[in-house]
Amino acid sequence: MKSKADVVIIGGGISGCGLAYNLARRGVDVLVFEKNYLTSGATGACGAGIRQQWSTYENAELAIASVKIFEKLSNELGEDIEFRQGGYLVAIHDRKEMKQAIKNVEMQRTLGLQVEILDSEGINDIVPILDVKGMKAIGATFCPTDGHANPFKTTFAYANAAKRFGANIYTHTKVTSIKKDKKRITGVITDKGSVKTEIVVNAAGIWSKDIAEIVGVNTPNIPIRKEIIATERFKPMFEAMVISFKDGIYFSQQKEGQIIGGIPSPEQKPGYKTIPTISFMQHMASTLIRYAPVLKHINLLRHWTGFYDVTPDSRPILGETKNLKGFIHCHGFSGHGFMISPMVSKLLSDFIVDGKTSEVLNNLNIDRFKDKKIEHEMSTVG
Amino acid sequence: MDGLKGDSIASALHAQGIKTLTKSLRYDLPRGFFCGIGKCSSCLMRVNGIPNIRTCIAPLLEGVKVEIQDKLPDIPDAKFQSKPKKIVSVDILVVGAGPAGLSAAIEAAKQGTKVLIADENLQIGGQLIKQTHKFFGSKYEKAGTRGIQIAVDLEKELKELEKSGNIDLMLNSTVIGCYEGKKGKHKFAIIKRKNYDSILYEVESRTVVIATGAMENMLLFTGNDLPGVYGAGAVQTLMNVFGVKPGNKVIMVGAGNVGLIVSYQLLQAGIIVDRVVEAAPIIGGYHVHAAKLRRYGVPILTSHSIIEAYGKDKVEGVVIVKLDKNWQPIKGSKEKVACDTVCLAVGLTPSTRLLYQFGVNMEFVPEAGGFVALHDDSMQTTVKGVFVAGDSSGIEEASTAMVEGKIAGVSASLLLGFNKNAKDLKKQYKKELDRLRAGPFGEKPRIAKRKIDKLLEKKNA
Repeated sequence: MKSKADVVIIGGGISGCGLAYNLARRGVDVLVFEKNYLTSGATGACGAGIRQQWSTYENAELAIASVKIFEKLSNELGEDIEFRQGGYLVAIHDRKEMKQAIKNVEMQRTLGLQVEILDSEGINDIVPILDVKGMKAIGATFCPTDGHANPFKTTFAYANAAKRFGANIYTHTKVTSIKKDKKRITGVITDKGSVKTEIVVNAAGIWSKDIAEIVGVNTPNIPIRKEIIATERFKPMFEAMVISFKDGIYFSQQKEGQIIGGIPSPEQKPGYKTIPTISFMQHMASTLIRYAPVLKHINLLRHWTGFYDVTPDSRPILGETKNLKGFIHCHGFSGHGFMISPMVSKLLSDFIVDGKTSEVLNNLNIDRFKDKKIEHEMSTVG
Repeated sequence: MDGLKGDSIASALHAQGIKTLTKSLRYDLPRGFFCGIGKCSSCLMRVNGIPNIRTCIAPLLEGVKVEIQDKLPDIPDAKFQSKPKKIVSVDILVVGAGPAGLSAAIEAAKQGTKVLIADENLQIGGQLIKQTHKFFGSKYEKAGTRGIQIAVDLEKELKELEKSGNIDLMLNSTVIGCYEGKKGKHKFAIIKRKNYDSILYEVESRTVVIATGAMENMLLFTGNDLPGVYGAGAVQTLMNVFGVKPGNKVIMVGAGNVGLIVSYQLLQAGIIVDRVVEAAPIIGGYHVHAAKLRRYGVPILTSHSIIEAYGKDKVEGVVIVKLDKNWQPIKGSKEKVACDTVCLAVGLTPSTRLLYQFGVNMEFVPEAGGFVALHDDSMQTTVKGVFVAGDSSGIEEASTAMVEGKIAGVSASLLLGFNKNAKDLKKQYKKELDRLRAGPFGEKPRIAKRKIDKLLEKKNA
């Protein structure tokens, strides 16, 4: 193992590998420690959706900028990440939601996003199999440039490209301690050896809390078990991801024909358990059928769990810790880390290399939780 | 479509010479079944409008409509899966009604526990129902009895206990998953099929015995997906369960006991066994089985393997090659042999998917056939109340599977506080197991179990 590095990233998910690539291509000597294998955490269990329709400026900005990167990412990294833009259809169920939707769309349009508000009849033009009455929708918003990509291929494409630029990625290597003097990071110790560094990036997903604790930093994150089902393959019926903030459901049909989706589980509670629940399966199936009754005749094939690393405002925690130079947060993605990872890793690499900061990075600093009033992300599902 | 009572859809199709059941997803290649026991999913067809039916274990019913399905089928318009779920609570759930599962269920019910035993096949007995040969081993464990007779005996015992109300049997039912339970209990979803319709059962149990058996190994060679390439077990199923000839001229790959016994059974059914090829330099199976083949004049070629199966839409022949001491093909040794069936008897892999769902510690033990659950001498895994028995705990024989099943059944009962002389029985069964593994052919499982013990020790340390 190398004895020193400019930057050590903890966590081999999409965030860690994306950042490793962005740093390495700029000549930074970067090293990634992953305690299991690449994508073994939330990345490998995620729903793979890419959505730009958010209620808070920071998430929308990050997602919109990320889509621009996603559009060229297969080319840039030299591997197909299976990025496709089928759009996201966001159901609106009542007047209150409509009011919020109008507000969201206004903000999103100022950021240059192409997004429209549909009435209930417009819904079936986008997704013909939906039962508008059953889903109790009065309308929807639709953004055609939303979509999805393959989280495994994207992470490995980032990791492979990072390695080509000289990054070192150590899997099955667990960080056991972090060395620091009074006010700065000095090194990282793992179960396979130690390395000197002045910068550590905590991209450890639901385990980021444990990593932060090592250096005496408290994070407000909570791990929450989430579940997803996948069905048998069928002829393509729709391209958009269908979601509802009220019901919490999201589902889409993949190119290969299977339908993948999730919904908050009735037994949802904080913790690290990975076993699935039968109540989720039934709640998901019955809600899915309410939205699209034709799907009642298909079989579920798979059902798995993953985690959301949830913060109090459902927005990520990014940037350096005030009293500990060189300790950088990159966690708390609250269920939407994959879709904003290209821009997050670009902003953090700009900060690490050039010291350049931005409004988004400033607003998403961990210190925001000290304020009495924090702006909550309203547009979450799953 | 014609067929006989008791046929599966696939066996009836085979009887009429129809071997191509579906097409491959990417390249549109013809596919027929490989395993014949519902595990390989290369026999999916549209039955009465419902796609993705495993025709090898789906019963042939009067007036059924069977079609080759599109690769990406339309959503079915048939009416099914509309019934409300049923909720059941038991002491012990046994998954799999083969020799291990049946023995576990019988033993546990005798202890007074309430047992539910679920199996995805139409009949009980697991692979015993196709084993027409006489068993070896110990006189305590049915040596000299044919496998099919053992299945009948076990069924009789089970039916007696069913009358007492201690055992419930669910056939044609698949345990699709285990889920988080409450108060230390385990929860399962079981799909019970009726005709081609199905009902969801939610089953709660305090302990579970996983006796899901094994899957046949595939071998890597060109054309290994052609219809006409079967697992040896699939050929046995066709011949001995359904009375259907798998083909007319067979190449057997593998000279372990399975390869030798199935070759002999093929001969008995009037099918030509051209030769048996075995990559290892020695015959792996019992001498007595090999000798039977030799008497028929069937060559058993050691240090030989198959490198290709050819044919347009089905097997028309194979290419055989001789191997050197490093198991590499010897140049110029290729030989083309015409045949219509290739039978692979190249080992088994434990079926462990449910065990993975529990999060039990799994380790790779080559002598056990692959990844297996670490378990103690009570057959309990690293998750409390989750037991394993039979091939799913490591590949071995049906005779040892039965004893392991008994140990698991008694141990699960003991854990729940049922104790009718259970401790003595457990001791007795453990002795029996040691006796069965004592000979030279017990070497591999002995090594496997020793490795499992060591890994468990390391884990507990």
